[in-house]
Amino acid sequence: MVFNSLEFFIFLPVVFILYWFVFKNHLKAQNVLLLIASYVFYGMWDWRFLSLILLSTCVDYGVGLKIDATTVAKQRKRWLWVSVIFNIGLLGCFKYYNFFVDSWIDMFSVFGYELKSTWMLHVVLPVGISFYTFQTMSYSFDVYYKKLKPTSDFLSFAAFVSFFPQLVAGPIERASNLMSQIFNKRTFNYNQMVSGLKLILWGLFKKIVIADAIGPIVDDIFANYNSHSASTLILGVTLFSFQVYGDFSGYSDIAIGTSKLFGIELMSNFKFPNFSRNVAEYWQRWHISLSTWFRHYIYIPLGGSRGSTLKSIRNICIIFLVSGFWHGANWTFIFWGGFHALAFIPVFLLGRNAVYKDTVIAQNSIFPSFTELGQVLLTFVIVTFSRIFFRSASITEAFGFIHRLCTNFTYETYLHPLGYRMMDYYILIILFVVYEYIIRKDERSPFLFTSKVVRFIMYTIVVLAMLLFYDSNVDRSFIYFQF
Amino acid sequence: MLLYAVLIALCLEVVIRLLHLTKDYPVRYVDEFGVEKWVPNQRGFAVTGIRRQHFSEYHINNSGYNSYREFHPTPDQVEIALVGDSFIEGFHQQYTNSIGKKIEQRLKDVEVYEYGYAGYDFADQLHMINTYKETFDLVDYVVLGLKFENDLTRSSYTVVQDRMKLETPLYKTLRQSKLLVYLQNVGTFDAAKSLLSKITSVNNNNKAISKRSSETELQDQYIINFKRLVHTYGYDKQRFTLLLDAAQTPPIFLKYLEDNGFRYLDFSEPLQASKTPTNLIYDMHWNNHGRTLIAELVADFVAENIEK
Repeated sequence: MVFNSLEFFIFLPVVFILYWFVFKNHLKAQNVLLLIASYVFYGMWDWRFLSLILLSTCVDYGVGLKIDATTVAKQRKRWLWVSVIFNIGLLGCFKYYNFFVDSWIDMFSVFGYELKSTWMLHVVLPVGISFYTFQTMSYSFDVYYKKLKPTSDFLSFAAFVSFFPQLVAGPIERASNLMSQIFNKRTFNYNQMVSGLKLILWGLFKKIVIADAIGPIVDDIFANYNSHSASTLILGVTLFSFQVYGDFSGYSDIAIGTSKLFGIELMSNFKFPNFSRNVAEYWQRWHISLSTWFRHYIYIPLGGSRGSTLKSIRNICIIFLVSGFWHGANWTFIFWGGFHALAFIPVFLLGRNAVYKDTVIAQNSIFPSFTELGQVLLTFVIVTFSRIFFRSASITEAFGFIHRLCTNFTYETYLHPLGYRMMDYYILIILFVVYEYIIRKDERSPFLFTSKVVRFIMYTIVVLAMLLFYDSNVDRSFIYFQF
Repeated sequence: MLLYAVLIALCLEVVIRLLHLTKDYPVRYVDEFGVEKWVPNQRGFAVTGIRRQHFSEYHINNSGYNSYREFHPTPDQVEIALVGDSFIEGFHQQYTNSIGKKIEQRLKDVEVYEYGYAGYDFADQLHMINTYKETFDLVDYVVLGLKFENDLTRSSYTVVQDRMKLETPLYKTLRQSKLLVYLQNVGTFDAAKSLLSKITSVNNNNKAISKRSSETELQDQYIINFKRLVHTYGYDKQRFTLLLDAAQTPPIFLKYLEDNGFRYLDFSEPLQASKTPTNLIYDMHWNNHGRTLIAELVADFVAENIEK
């Protein structure tokens, strides 16, 4: 089941009503309901893969208790490794195995040995496997680092692992944040519900109007990059930047909004990354839950930036390459991660990786300064360029795209593959950027206007835009489901 | 919150009306002779696609068909009747720039009558011609649009109740809301419809399997239907010509037509040879260029016959 489907719009009110009106005063019953709802939500995609979630839940539940049961450091570590090996093993089996076999075969073919790919697995990638395995691992890590006491309440723990709003594409919650909410009594809060509905509306807008509407253009340009001029390729990759942002941040907003309806606050996953002033700030604003996960569970244990400069650079490279590999079993993602590492290192060496941590562009003014504008544009260009690797189906295709971009530097008028007016999309993107700039200080309140009239006008415009750009023929699946 | 939702819906209704984002629905009826058509003398606008991609005006004439002219054939004048479905009806085009008008521009002193109505199959067409026999006897050339796989599914004419259901008070009331019409046209309700059909298909699955026929059986049945319709309502092989896409028509039917002296015009060749698109973006109807090619095909055919 996906958020932008009719099934979900029937499913959500039913669960909401049961949750608040039938099981209102029974925390345990509410958690069981969330667990059942989450399994139904996931099972509607493919019920067979529920076994993987259940297995991951059982393993980390047991590991948590085992780690806590002993004070011997070696034994605690051993149990932590059980969790890590099991979860990474799941990922390895379903997501990376074929990639490694394929790369192995390719490597041998370079030396003239032809190997047959008889060892390939013919398995479907279970939706959201990268997200829930990381979330369960975070529980074992938190118990190991003594930030969390393990629970003996299996059902509530299972509800934490499979909590449907963020099960398939995050935000990847740290156990210490989400579990405390799952285990504590929730009370219905009207303002929280309204705030959740607003986020759902805004998320749907980003998905339907931004991501889905420009998807066919991006698909067309990337599929036929060999026949387009540089101007069209720039247009394609720029629009892809907005598409992937609209798609993923839209999903996150709907997830956070849905979660609010059940009285649970998830962490923010996006904070207007398009207004980042350098690559470091970009990573503080883009897919925050994943960056946070890597920082807490890999970067800091590796030593972070506390050691020598060389060691810090090594850690940065590891983090970005792992992050790239997390996205998919393809060299394109590894190159994408590597590119970001290369873009991040100069910022780190200049000591500017944390300077924009607590501020936004034009923090105390209406308009940004020219310097800020230049910084934002430069960061956007760097990030957008990296998306060529992210979007391309293979590394050959990515370099082919770049080659074409550099060698065919001419302008052509691009026509929409379905015949729509392109001007509509240019205006749409400009208005979207302007609006995001206006609301840039609070990512959780997209309609934060004091005037009721202004709010009403904004709601109407957002819904109207959805009607104007909704196309029933467009593929409406979320990009990050493939990860 | 509910108040907000209602107010937003009202605003959207106003915006959709102001920007004319969705189509008008002419009223249909069944006349005293049992012919289903549009209520005469209506005007409105047809809109296709999101953001008003195609916008055109229609004009239902006194005979109940979309045309810029009235149909008054005389023995002294050369007239062509184009009979068919939505392709001939042409709501997706400006009524002043129809196929008929394009033919008239190519042939001097010829009047073209467009008897087009969305959903008309061969039974509808022959029944209508037969019913208005006196009028059609005065028409010199009758061109009937035929799509084999759609238009020969029945062997006799009855009013299609599914279409007439659209004139029930419930549908008429729902159509008063332009917002609902827009939502329906852009496919917002498709998901709900497919969910409903999924549910109902579970019950009807077994029946559907038993009814499924092979392609050859279907083709044979359609040819039988064609023969029956011709037999029941009459068909003047001298004046009548079929307009069809030979590339999409089974060879067995084409052979039958050729062997039995049924003339046909094949539009597949000119359309396929065209370097520019011949169809609209959102649906399969001919665009302006496609209509021009069809008009040329018909006009050349009639010109050739006039010369003879």
